[in-house]
Amino acid sequence: MRHPTEDLTALLDGELPPERAAEVTLHLAGCAACRAERDGLASGIAALRALPPAPEPSPFFSTRLAARLAREARPAPGFARRLAALRWKLAAPAAAAALAAGIVVFAVRTERAEEAGVALNLDLLLEYEAVASLGDVETEEDAAIVAALDDLTSKEGTP
Amino acid sequence: MGPDPDATLMLAFQRGDEGAFRALYERHARAMVSFCRHLVRDAARAEELAQDVFVKLYQAAPRYRPSARFQTFMYRIASNHCLNELRRGEYAAGAAGAKRPEEPPDLDALPSRDAGPEAAAVGAALERAVGVLLDDLPEKQRAALVLCRLEGLSYEEIAQVLETSVSAVKSLVHRATVSAAAALAPYAPAAAKEVLP
Repeated sequence: MRHPTEDLTALLDGELPPERAAEVTLHLAGCAACRAERDGLASGIAALRALPPAPEPSPFFSTRLAARLAREARPAPGFARRLAALRWKLAAPAAAAALAAGIVVFAVRTERAEEAGVALNLDLLLEYEAVASLGDVETEEDAAIVAALDDLTSKEGTP
Repeated sequence: MGPDPDATLMLAFQRGDEGAFRALYERHARAMVSFCRHLVRDAARAEELAQDVFVKLYQAAPRYRPSARFQTFMYRIASNHCLNELRRGEYAAGAAGAKRPEEPPDLDALPSRDAGPEAAAVGAALERAVGVLLDDLPEKQRAALVLCRLEGLSYEEIAQVLETSVSAVKSLVHRATVSAAAALAPYAPAAAKEVLP
């Protein structure tokens, strides 16, 4: 068997399959060079394990992270979903209300426009009747009213 | 493998529980700063990188699926981020790193580990030696060594983190451990027996 150099670390880490671990262990029993190699590796691993615990992050670490999350991170997905759902819940009635309001405004405006037109026509009609009853068109204004009403009545008569 | 408490927290955060993310932070902040520090060898930059990792975790929550241990997921983000940082070239070996001892330390000259201040002195000397070791290792070996020896991940998990094969990890860990053995042997002659099977 060749010297299982690369397997020695894996053996120490418990990362070899059982059959291979048994083979390497058997080899170690008869190979001083590999035992020395293994012991050297074990020393290195032991030294790394003896490292002092990692120091705490600086006192500002969590404060800075919180500021960054507030500035850079998107809301939590659950929040985002709930927020999106809430937006739609609010938006749907709002859109419906806006649509309804638009229809009402349009209808009111149309109605008002029609009423205004009717009112104007009524005003003109009253003046026309007054002028006609008098049978007297004295001013240019009276003449303009009569002409406009004549025009209006002729258009109304047109299919 | 039992339920992964970190994955449970991440899923709770996914459902909108901000406290779960805070718990994840409290469980891993220290380790994450330490991991980044070992990889980039710059304490101040390591804190910024660790913060980046938590911001990335926060943003990745909607896409998180507990297909692997949460720690594997977290270390993959952290490793990619730190290795990208190293590849930018601002962290040439030794640039930010440990002061190189001119001569190998004489353990007999160092104070006993039993006493507080003396143990701290030994610990500081060991930290410097590990710093020099990490500075000298190629970045993939450095990542594999830190994940294996300092973070306690299995070869399979390291393979997932570094997106490589288990056999490649085995080789990376072995070569890095050979270097560690050469650099750190004076520090742990008595403790080595604990490692032997």
